[in-house]
Amino acid sequence: MTDINPKYIELDQEMSDRSLDQSPVSLLEKVKKEGRVWGDLCEQYGVDNPDPPWRITLEATCDVLADGYWSTFNICKPKDERNPEEESKKLDAVERRWEEDQLVSQHYADVPFPESQLMALAHTLIRRGLMSEEELARKMEEVDRRLNSA
Amino acid sequence: MAEKHKPAPMVDEVSEFEVLEIAVRELAIEKGLFSAEDHRRWTEYMHTLGPLPAARLVAKAWLDPEFKKLAVKDGVKASLDVDIDWIGSMPTNFGTPSDYCNLRVMEDTPKLKHVVVCTLCSCYPRPILGQSPEWYRTPNYRRRIVRWPRQVLSEFGLQLPEDVEIRVVDSNQKSRFIVLPVRPEGTEGWTEDQLAEIVTRDCLIGVAVPKPGQTSNDPRPVHPAKNPYKH
Repeated sequence: MTDINPKYIELDQEMSDRSLDQSPVSLLEKVKKEGRVWGDLCEQYGVDNPDPPWRITLEATCDVLADGYWSTFNICKPKDERNPEEESKKLDAVERRWEEDQLVSQHYADVPFPESQLMALAHTLIRRGLMSEEELARKMEEVDRRLNSA
Repeated sequence: MAEKHKPAPMVDEVSEFEVLEIAVRELAIEKGLFSAEDHRRWTEYMHTLGPLPAARLVAKAWLDPEFKKLAVKDGVKASLDVDIDWIGSMPTNFGTPSDYCNLRVMEDTPKLKHVVVCTLCSCYPRPILGQSPEWYRTPNYRRRIVRWPRQVLSEFGLQLPEDVEIRVVDSNQKSRFIVLPVRPEGTEGWTEDQLAEIVTRDCLIGVAVPKPGQTSNDPRPVHPAKNPYKH
Protein backbone atom coordinates (compact mmCIF):
# COMPACT_ATOMS: atom_id res chain seq x y z
CA MET A 1 0.00 0.00 0.00
CA THR A 2 1.26 3.47 -0.83
CA ASP A 3 -0.05 6.72 0.57
CA ILE A 4 1.08 9.08 -2.18
CA ASN A 5 0.61 12.78 -1.81
CA PRO A 6 -2.43 13.49 -4.04
CA LYS A 7 -0.81 16.72 -5.22
CA TYR A 8 2.00 14.74 -6.81
CA ILE A 9 0.45 14.06 -10.22
CA GLU A 10 -0.85 17.60 -10.54
CA LEU A 11 2.48 19.15 -9.61
CA ASP A 12 4.38 16.67 -11.74
CA GLN A 13 2.53 17.90 -14.81
CA GLU A 14 2.70 21.55 -13.84
CA MET A 15 6.43 21.51 -13.15
CA SER A 16 7.22 19.40 -16.21
CA ASP A 17 5.40 21.95 -18.38
CA ARG A 18 7.23 24.94 -16.94
CA SER A 19 9.43 26.82 -19.32
CA LEU A 20 12.45 27.25 -17.09
CA ASP A 21 15.38 28.49 -19.13
CA GLN A 22 17.61 25.44 -19.18
CA SER A 23 20.55 27.02 -20.96
CA PRO A 24 23.95 26.78 -19.28
CA VAL A 25 25.34 29.67 -17.24
CA SER A 26 28.93 30.49 -18.26
CA LEU A 27 30.00 31.48 -14.76
CA LEU A 28 28.73 28.20 -13.32
CA GLU A 29 30.26 26.20 -16.14
CA LYS A 30 33.59 27.73 -15.14
CA VAL A 31 33.05 26.78 -11.47
CA LYS A 32 32.11 23.27 -12.55
CA LYS A 33 35.27 22.98 -14.63
CA GLU A 34 37.75 24.59 -12.25
CA GLY A 35 36.23 24.08 -8.80
CA ARG A 36 37.61 21.43 -6.49
CA VAL A 37 34.90 19.36 -4.83
CA TRP A 38 34.90 18.58 -1.12
CA GLY A 39 35.68 14.89 -1.60
CA ASP A 40 38.91 15.69 -3.47
CA LEU A 41 39.98 18.25 -0.88
CA CYS A 42 39.32 15.77 1.92
CA GLU A 43 41.47 13.18 0.23
CA GLN A 44 44.34 15.60 -0.32
CA TYR A 45 44.29 17.03 3.21
CA GLY A 46 43.40 13.83 5.07
CA VAL A 47 40.06 15.13 6.36
CA ASP A 48 37.18 12.72 6.94
CA ASN A 49 34.25 15.09 7.51
CA PRO A 50 31.67 13.94 4.93
CA ASP A 51 30.20 17.41 4.43
CA PRO A 52 31.88 20.66 3.43
CA PRO A 53 31.78 23.36 6.10
CA TRP A 54 29.29 25.37 4.06
CA ARG A 55 26.59 22.69 3.78
CA ILE A 56 24.48 24.01 6.67
CA THR A 57 24.75 27.63 5.54
CA LEU A 58 23.63 26.54 2.06
CA GLU A 59 20.62 24.73 3.57
CA ALA A 60 19.84 27.83 5.60
CA THR A 61 20.02 29.99 2.47
CA CYS A 62 17.48 27.71 0.78
CA ASP A 63 15.20 27.91 3.82
CA VAL A 64 15.27 31.65 4.24
CA LEU A 65 14.81 32.14 0.49
CA ALA A 66 11.66 30.03 0.76
CA ASP A 67 10.25 32.40 3.32
CA GLY A 68 13.02 34.75 4.27
CA TYR A 69 10.62 37.36 5.42
CA TRP A 70 8.68 35.18 7.85
CA SER A 71 9.92 37.01 10.88
CA THR A 72 8.40 40.31 9.93
CA PHE A 73 6.09 39.80 7.02
CA ASN A 74 3.87 37.32 5.40
CA ILE A 75 3.74 33.88 6.82
CA CYS A 76 1.11 34.60 9.48
CA LYS A 77 -1.10 36.43 7.04
CA PRO A 78 -3.69 35.09 4.61
CA LYS A 79 -2.30 34.98 1.06
CA ASP A 80 -4.35 37.93 -0.18
CA GLU A 81 -3.01 40.14 2.59
CA ARG A 82 0.63 39.41 1.91
CA ASN A 83 3.04 42.07 0.77
CA PRO A 84 3.33 41.53 -3.02
CA GLU A 85 6.79 43.11 -3.17
CA GLU A 86 8.14 40.69 -0.57
CA GLU A 87 6.17 37.79 -2.08
CA SER A 88 8.00 38.29 -5.39
CA LYS A 89 11.30 37.61 -3.65
CA LYS A 90 10.16 34.21 -2.51
CA LEU A 91 11.71 31.06 -3.95
CA ASP A 92 9.22 28.36 -3.14
CA ALA A 93 10.89 25.26 -1.70
CA VAL A 94 9.06 22.75 -3.91
CA GLU A 95 9.73 24.75 -7.08
CA ARG A 96 13.39 25.12 -6.16
CA ARG A 97 13.73 21.38 -5.59
CA TRP A 98 12.05 20.52 -8.89
CA GLU A 99 14.32 22.92 -10.70
CA GLU A 100 17.28 21.41 -8.85
CA ASP A 101 16.31 17.96 -10.14
CA GLN A 102 16.07 19.27 -13.70
CA LEU A 103 19.23 21.35 -13.62
CA VAL A 104 21.33 18.67 -11.95
CA SER A 105 20.27 16.06 -14.49
CA GLN A 106 20.96 18.43 -17.38
CA HIS A 107 24.08 20.32 -16.30
CA TYR A 108 25.48 19.04 -13.03
CA ALA A 109 25.08 15.28 -13.14
CA ASP A 110 28.82 14.84 -12.68
CA VAL A 111 29.02 17.25 -9.77
CA PRO A 112 28.73 15.53 -6.36
CA PHE A 113 26.26 16.56 -3.66
CA PRO A 114 26.04 19.13 -2.04
CA GLU A 115 28.06 21.00 -4.67
CA SER A 116 25.31 20.10 -7.16
CA GLN A 117 22.66 21.60 -4.86
CA LEU A 118 24.67 24.83 -4.70
CA MET A 119 25.13 25.00 -8.48
CA ALA A 120 21.42 24.42 -9.06
CA LEU A 121 20.46 27.10 -6.54
CA ALA A 122 22.76 29.68 -8.18
CA HIS A 123 21.42 28.67 -11.60
CA THR A 124 17.82 29.04 -10.47
CA LEU A 125 18.45 32.45 -8.87
CA ILE A 126 20.04 33.75 -12.08
CA ARG A 127 17.40 32.34 -14.43
CA ARG A 128 14.60 33.71 -12.27
CA GLY A 129 16.21 37.14 -12.34
CA LEU A 130 16.73 37.31 -8.59
CA MET A 131 20.41 38.05 -9.27
CA SER A 132 22.39 38.45 -12.48
CA GLU A 133 25.34 36.42 -13.65
CA GLU A 134 27.46 39.60 -13.74
CA GLU A 135 26.53 40.54 -10.18
CA LEU A 136 27.36 37.07 -8.96
CA ALA A 137 30.68 37.04 -10.82
CA ARG A 138 31.65 40.38 -9.22
CA LYS A 139 30.66 39.13 -5.77
CA MET A 140 32.67 35.94 -6.24
CA GLU A 141 35.75 37.97 -7.14
CA GLU A 142 35.26 40.08 -4.03
CA VAL A 143 34.81 37.03 -1.79
CA ASP A 144 37.77 35.27 -3.35
CA ARG A 145 40.04 38.29 -2.75
CA ARG A 146 38.85 38.52 0.85
CA LEU A 147 39.27 34.84 1.66
CA ASN A 148 42.66 34.57 0.04
CA SER A 149 44.08 37.83 1.40
CA ALA A 150 45.85 36.36 4.42
CA MET B 1 52.31 18.43 26.61
CA ALA B 2 52.11 21.05 23.89
CA GLU B 3 54.75 19.39 21.74
CA LYS B 4 52.70 16.17 21.75
CA HIS B 5 49.54 17.91 20.59
CA LYS B 6 48.89 17.06 16.97
CA PRO B 7 46.33 19.30 15.30
CA ALA B 8 43.54 17.60 13.40
CA PRO B 9 44.01 17.74 9.64
CA MET B 10 42.15 20.55 7.91
CA VAL B 11 41.49 21.66 4.38
CA ASP B 12 43.87 24.56 3.87
CA GLU B 13 42.39 25.77 0.63
CA VAL B 14 39.39 27.85 -0.44
CA SER B 15 37.51 26.11 -3.24
CA GLU B 16 35.49 27.80 -5.97
CA PHE B 17 32.41 26.13 -4.51
CA GLU B 18 33.01 27.69 -1.11
CA VAL B 19 33.45 31.08 -2.74
CA LEU B 20 30.21 30.55 -4.70
CA GLU B 21 28.25 29.62 -1.57
CA ILE B 22 29.37 32.74 0.25
CA ALA B 23 28.83 34.94 -2.80
CA VAL B 24 25.26 33.68 -3.34
CA ARG B 25 24.42 34.26 0.31
CA GLU B 26 25.97 37.72 0.56
CA LEU B 27 24.48 38.89 -2.72
CA ALA B 28 21.03 37.64 -1.68
CA ILE B 29 21.34 39.65 1.54
CA GLU B 30 22.50 42.76 -0.36
CA LYS B 31 19.54 42.45 -2.69
CA GLY B 32 17.11 42.13 0.20
CA LEU B 33 15.99 38.56 -0.52
CA PHE B 34 16.46 37.83 3.18
CA SER B 35 18.21 39.47 6.10
CA ALA B 36 21.58 38.53 7.58
CA GLU B 37 19.84 38.17 10.94
CA ASP B 38 17.26 35.70 9.58
CA HIS B 39 20.04 33.66 8.02
CA ARG B 40 22.14 33.66 11.17
CA ARG B 41 19.23 32.50 13.33
CA TRP B 42 18.29 29.77 10.89
CA THR B 43 21.89 28.54 10.57
CA GLU B 44 22.33 28.40 14.34
CA TYR B 45 19.14 26.38 14.66
CA MET B 46 20.17 23.97 11.91
CA HIS B 47 23.48 23.31 13.65
CA THR B 48 21.56 21.97 16.66
CA LEU B 49 19.80 19.24 14.66
CA GLY B 50 20.64 15.56 14.32
CA PRO B 51 19.07 12.08 14.47
CA LEU B 52 19.58 11.40 18.19
CA PRO B 53 16.24 12.81 19.45
CA ALA B 54 14.29 10.55 17.09
CA ALA B 55 16.37 7.56 18.20
CA ARG B 56 15.64 8.42 21.83
CA LEU B 57 11.93 8.72 21.08
CA VAL B 58 11.93 5.20 19.65
CA ALA B 59 13.93 3.81 22.58
CA LYS B 60 11.53 5.41 25.04
CA ALA B 61 8.57 3.97 23.17
CA TRP B 62 10.11 0.49 23.31
CA LEU B 63 10.51 0.78 27.08
CA ASP B 64 7.25 2.51 27.97
CA PRO B 65 3.98 1.29 26.40
CA GLU B 66 2.13 4.43 27.51
CA PHE B 67 4.73 6.63 25.83
CA LYS B 68 4.44 4.52 22.70
CA LYS B 69 0.69 5.18 22.62
CA LEU B 70 1.35 8.91 22.95
CA ALA B 71 4.03 8.86 20.23
CA VAL B 72 1.73 7.14 17.75
CA LYS B 73 -1.20 9.40 18.64
CA ASP B 74 0.62 12.74 18.85
CA GLY B 75 4.20 12.81 17.61
CA VAL B 76 4.63 16.53 18.22
CA LYS B 77 3.63 16.16 21.87
CA ALA B 78 5.78 13.06 22.36
CA SER B 79 8.75 14.95 20.87
CA LEU B 80 8.72 17.26 23.87
CA ASP B 81 9.95 14.29 25.97
CA VAL B 82 13.11 14.19 23.85
CA ASP B 83 13.52 17.97 24.03
CA ILE B 84 12.20 18.74 20.56
CA ASP B 85 9.60 21.47 20.47
CA TRP B 86 8.31 21.54 16.89
CA ILE B 87 6.67 24.90 17.42
CA GLY B 88 8.29 26.86 20.22
CA SER B 89 11.95 26.12 19.52
CA MET B 90 11.87 26.85 15.80
CA PRO B 91 13.39 30.20 14.87
CA THR B 92 9.91 31.33 13.87
CA ASN B 93 8.23 30.38 17.16
CA PHE B 94 5.26 29.14 15.20
CA GLY B 95 6.63 26.20 13.28
CA THR B 96 8.67 26.33 10.13
CA PRO B 97 8.41 28.42 6.98
CA SER B 98 6.70 25.54 5.24
CA ASP B 99 4.24 25.14 8.10
CA TYR B 100 5.02 21.55 8.92
CA CYS B 101 4.12 21.04 12.53
CA ASN B 102 2.71 17.54 12.30
CA LEU B 103 5.03 14.66 13.09
CA ARG B 104 3.50 11.25 12.60
CA VAL B 105 5.20 8.23 14.15
CA MET B 106 4.49 5.13 12.05
CA GLU B 107 4.54 1.99 14.14
CA ASP B 108 5.89 -1.16 12.49
CA THR B 109 4.65 -4.61 13.47
CA PRO B 110 6.08 -8.02 12.56
CA LYS B 111 3.72 -8.02 9.56
CA LEU B 112 3.82 -4.33 8.59
CA LYS B 113 6.86 -2.26 7.57
CA HIS B 114 6.75 1.48 6.96
CA VAL B 115 9.18 3.44 4.82
CA VAL B 116 9.27 7.20 4.34
CA VAL B 117 9.70 9.21 1.15
CA CYS B 118 8.93 12.64 -0.21
CA THR B 119 7.83 12.19 -3.80
CA LEU B 120 7.45 15.94 -4.37
CA CYS B 121 10.88 17.09 -3.29
CA SER B 122 12.79 15.96 -0.20
CA CYS B 123 10.65 16.93 2.83
CA TYR B 124 12.20 15.37 5.92
CA PRO B 125 11.56 15.66 9.68
CA ARG B 126 14.64 17.79 10.22
CA PRO B 127 13.76 19.09 13.71
CA ILE B 128 13.99 15.55 15.09
CA LEU B 129 16.17 13.76 12.50
CA GLY B 130 18.65 16.34 11.19
CA GLN B 131 19.68 16.70 7.54
CA SER B 132 18.44 14.24 4.96
CA PRO B 133 20.97 11.90 3.31
CA GLU B 134 21.85 12.39 -0.32
CA TRP B 135 20.08 9.26 -1.57
CA TYR B 136 16.81 10.38 0.05
CA ARG B 137 16.86 13.48 -2.17
CA THR B 138 17.38 11.65 -5.45
CA PRO B 139 14.59 11.27 -8.02
CA ASN B 140 15.63 7.64 -8.37
CA TYR B 141 14.73 6.79 -4.75
CA ARG B 142 11.67 9.02 -4.70
CA ARG B 143 10.13 7.46 -7.78
CA ARG B 144 11.06 3.84 -7.35
CA ILE B 145 10.28 3.40 -3.65
CA VAL B 146 6.58 4.09 -4.29
CA ARG B 147 6.47 1.80 -7.31
CA TRP B 148 8.63 -1.11 -6.25
CA PRO B 149 9.15 -0.74 -2.49
CA ARG B 150 10.11 -4.36 -1.86
CA GLN B 151 12.77 -4.29 -4.56
CA VAL B 152 14.19 -0.95 -3.43
CA LEU B 153 14.34 -2.06 0.20
CA SER B 154 16.22 -5.18 -0.88
CA GLU B 155 18.77 -2.90 -2.58
CA PHE B 156 19.25 -1.31 0.86
CA GLY B 157 19.95 -4.78 2.19
CA LEU B 158 16.52 -5.20 3.77
CA GLN B 159 14.97 -8.45 2.56
CA LEU B 160 11.38 -8.71 3.78
CA PRO B 161 9.28 -11.88 3.64
CA GLU B 162 6.37 -11.78 1.19
CA ASP B 163 3.84 -11.85 4.02
CA VAL B 164 5.12 -8.53 5.41
CA GLU B 165 3.09 -5.63 4.04
CA ILE B 166 5.14 -2.57 3.07
CA ARG B 167 3.51 0.81 3.50
CA VAL B 168 5.20 3.82 1.91
CA VAL B 169 4.31 7.12 3.54
CA ASP B 170 4.71 10.28 1.49
CA SER B 171 5.77 13.45 3.26
CA ASN B 172 4.21 16.78 2.45
CA GLN B 173 4.17 20.36 3.62
CA LYS B 174 1.94 19.60 6.56
CA SER B 175 3.25 16.24 7.70
CA ARG B 176 6.57 14.65 8.43
CA PHE B 177 7.10 10.99 9.34
CA ILE B 178 9.47 8.76 11.24
CA VAL B 179 9.27 5.00 11.61
CA LEU B 180 8.94 3.27 14.97
CA PRO B 181 10.54 -0.09 14.16
CA VAL B 182 9.95 -3.37 15.94
CA ARG B 183 12.31 -3.79 18.90
CA PRO B 184 14.81 -6.47 17.91
CA GLU B 185 15.47 -9.65 19.80
CA GLY B 186 18.61 -9.69 21.90
CA THR B 187 17.96 -6.29 23.49
CA GLU B 188 16.17 -7.52 26.62
CA GLY B 189 17.22 -5.57 29.69
CA TRP B 190 18.90 -2.81 27.69
CA THR B 191 18.80 0.79 28.88
CA GLU B 192 17.31 3.64 26.87
CA ASP B 193 20.80 4.82 25.90
CA GLN B 194 21.79 1.35 24.69
CA LEU B 195 18.61 1.03 22.65
CA ALA B 196 18.92 4.51 21.15
CA GLU B 197 22.38 3.62 19.84
CA ILE B 198 21.00 0.99 17.47
CA VAL B 199 18.18 3.17 16.14
CA THR B 200 20.06 4.65 13.21
CA ARG B 201 18.88 7.31 10.80
CA ASP B 202 18.14 4.63 8.20
CA CYS B 203 15.96 2.71 10.69
CA LEU B 204 14.00 5.91 11.30
CA ILE B 205 13.44 6.42 7.56
CA GLY B 206 12.50 2.76 7.29
CA VAL B 207 15.13 1.41 4.88
CA ALA B 208 16.84 -0.57 7.64
CA VAL B 209 15.80 -2.32 10.84
CA PRO B 210 17.63 -2.09 14.17
CA LYS B 211 20.08 -4.83 15.03
CA PRO B 212 22.19 -5.31 18.14
CA GLY B 213 25.73 -4.25 17.28
CA GLN B 214 24.75 -2.05 14.33
CA THR B 215 25.10 1.58 15.42
CA SER B 216 25.81 3.35 12.14
CA ASN B 217 24.32 3.60 8.69
CA ASP B 218 25.70 1.44 5.92
CA PRO B 219 27.21 3.26 2.93
CA ARG B 220 24.48 3.85 0.37
CA PRO B 221 25.01 4.09 -3.38
CA VAL B 222 23.34 6.93 -5.25
CA HIS B 223 21.78 6.10 -8.61
CA PRO B 224 20.80 8.51 -11.37
CA ALA B 225 17.19 8.47 -12.54
CA LYS B 226 16.68 6.70 -15.86
CA ASN B 227 14.22 9.30 -17.11
CA PRO B 228 15.68 12.45 -15.63
CA TYR B 229 12.63 14.62 -15.05
CA LYS B 230 9.82 14.09 -17.54
CA HIS B 231 8.29 10.78 -16.73
